[in-house]
Amino acid sequence: MGFAQAKGDNKMKRNIETPKDKQNRHKAMEAVAMLDKIRHDFIQPPKNMDYFYDLYEKVYCKRESLHAKSVKVGTMCIQVPYEIIYALDAVPIRLCNGFYTDDEIGSDLAPSKACPLVKATVGQFSSNNFSDKPDFVISPTTCDQKSKSGAIIEDMGYLVYDMEFPRTKESEESREYWRRSVRKFTKELSKNLGKKLKKSKLKKTIQRIGYAQYLYHQLNDLRKEPNPPILGKDIFLVTNAFFFDKIDNWIEATQKLYEECKIRVKNEDKTHKNSPRIVYTGSPPIFPNLKIPLLIEQSDGIIVADETCSANRLFNDMVSIDEWFLYDMVDAVADRYLKGCTCPIFTKNNDRIRRVIDLVKEYKAEGVVYQAFAGCQVYEMEQRSVIEAMEKEGIPILYLESDYSPSHLGQLTTRIEAFIESLKNRRRRR
Amino acid sequence: MRYFAGIDIGSTAIKIAIIDENRELLGKKISASGSMFYKYAKEALAELLNELNIKEENLVYTVSTGYGRKLFKEANEKISEITANAIGARAAARAEGKKEIKTIINIGGQDSKAISLDSDGNVVNFAMNDRCAAGTGKFLDVVALKLEIGVDELGDYHFKSTGTPLSINSTCAVFAESEIIGLLGNNHSIEDIVAGVHYSIARRIIKLVKRVGIKEAIYFDGGPALNEGLVNAIENELTKEIFIPKYPQITTSFGAAILALESYEYLSNQN
Repeated sequence: MGFAQAKGDNKMKRNIETPKDKQNRHKAMEAVAMLDKIRHDFIQPPKNMDYFYDLYEKVYCKRESLHAKSVKVGTMCIQVPYEIIYALDAVPIRLCNGFYTDDEIGSDLAPSKACPLVKATVGQFSSNNFSDKPDFVISPTTCDQKSKSGAIIEDMGYLVYDMEFPRTKESEESREYWRRSVRKFTKELSKNLGKKLKKSKLKKTIQRIGYAQYLYHQLNDLRKEPNPPILGKDIFLVTNAFFFDKIDNWIEATQKLYEECKIRVKNEDKTHKNSPRIVYTGSPPIFPNLKIPLLIEQSDGIIVADETCSANRLFNDMVSIDEWFLYDMVDAVADRYLKGCTCPIFTKNNDRIRRVIDLVKEYKAEGVVYQAFAGCQVYEMEQRSVIEAMEKEGIPILYLESDYSPSHLGQLTTRIEAFIESLKNRRRRR
Repeated sequence: MRYFAGIDIGSTAIKIAIIDENRELLGKKISASGSMFYKYAKEALAELLNELNIKEENLVYTVSTGYGRKLFKEANEKISEITANAIGARAAARAEGKKEIKTIINIGGQDSKAISLDSDGNVVNFAMNDRCAAGTGKFLDVVALKLEIGVDELGDYHFKSTGTPLSINSTCAVFAESEIIGLLGNNHSIEDIVAGVHYSIARRIIKLVKRVGIKEAIYFDGGPALNEGLVNAIENELTKEIFIPKYPQITTSFGAAILALESYEYLSNQN
């Protein structure tokens, strides 16, 4: 008896995780929890979604690298032209981050009230823990927090290129400014990569991305049907995958998914026929932070369209290839990124309001859900004008503020459920 | 010879430790609290004295502690489990030749706490779980019952987990139960669920520890400290080694017994 006689204290040397292992485990746990709900909480997702479910598991749970042999260009925002990166034989990977684990890490480096997406991105860079680590980082000067985080990341020793972006888009000056910025970016990147941009190559990548856009538009068109064949949470996975997947694999998988969805529509599959139809707008849901889209659809709503930079805006307006000179083609690429952009960083942003109203009409939506990340000032500030415009049009809108933390789900659920129920009541009264 | 007893009446178990004048642990007893704390505590003490051949009159001072301490009327003194835990843990660590401990993690049947000590062993700060039994021993009982395995098997299942540990988001034992049923329904393995449960408890505990400050050496006691899977999860979440005493269940009663000795000596010197 007695503590002193203990001899069992060193009987087993226990292995303790390194901080990196711990971070990876936390992220895998987050990813699995989200994938589990996406996969299992709904009746019959399309069979071809399995490709995407498995892709996320591979990349975020098993941490497999997809582009081990390629030069990787990390992008901090949707405004970096993918066409040019592909044309220079590099792979673009968007590094906007949806992990709460990284958000917590980033909170030590950025103000605690900053946008969770920015904090999570900075957090991932600071832990230097990537399954595909970027060789270069492109940081467009879109919103304040992203511009500043580019500098924080550069201090950590990454090669960061600040890509200038205008704050207005109506004027001819801003258009010219942005075109020059894209041309400069093209030259800088080509110098850094030691590759020359070739006309034929650029033309081919414009066509390749154009085809991806075309497929996405086709798939999206099916969501206009009275019996949408696919839920918004799945579409977010498809579009999010475009940020990091091998483009050819993505095109193949999306093609199959589209074919399957077409058959579903034809067979008059009624799974989601009676769910209130929602347009989602606001701060971008990025895996695994798909909690708001998930809550909407768990509450029997269906997202039929969205206005976000993590989905819909990726596929705005294809670039047409009728230019003869290389740098005219670069200009055409630049235009697609500026004109179609409805980011709230712009001084006036009537385009965004128009787009949301158009989506509501085209996709026969019954309500709008507007999410702003707590700390994302521009989306928070634009809230008033969007709500006023929707009220004028008689479109019900729910404004939510949220962050990446897993708490407060209860309150969010109640608000979303009540909103969807109110849409159902409107139907009955009609 | 004079003897001193510490009786820790917890929500799940009654723990008794008896020491002699040299602070040597002579005997210990752990029995279920059941529904009649007072009766069972008295019985357990009588049995232990009998086992150790100690006459009742030689048991000169008794200190009770724990959630049911006020029910034990015979005790000469009643102290809170925070104080007793701090004293017992320090003494146990010293007896086992460990470094000076600065932080104690204790998980009991229905509460969990983190205690921060200064270099003299005084309690500087402590944090306790509030409201409910999430992340306590009771929670582990409920989980084992749902998974149809024994509580003592949880550690083995934890180390057999090969996939990603599954997050249990509910902090409530009742809701967590339905989450576990859901995970089983999605064909996840019991091993991954068990690992997930341990990590969810560990993360709750770390929040408490952070509130008082993480200072090494860190000591972990209470019944759940016997669960090596949980120990692994807490070490991984802290990314620091923690020290588990030989008898993690009785350190609080051991501390109460030492206090009994000290009080007795102090009172004798005064007279």
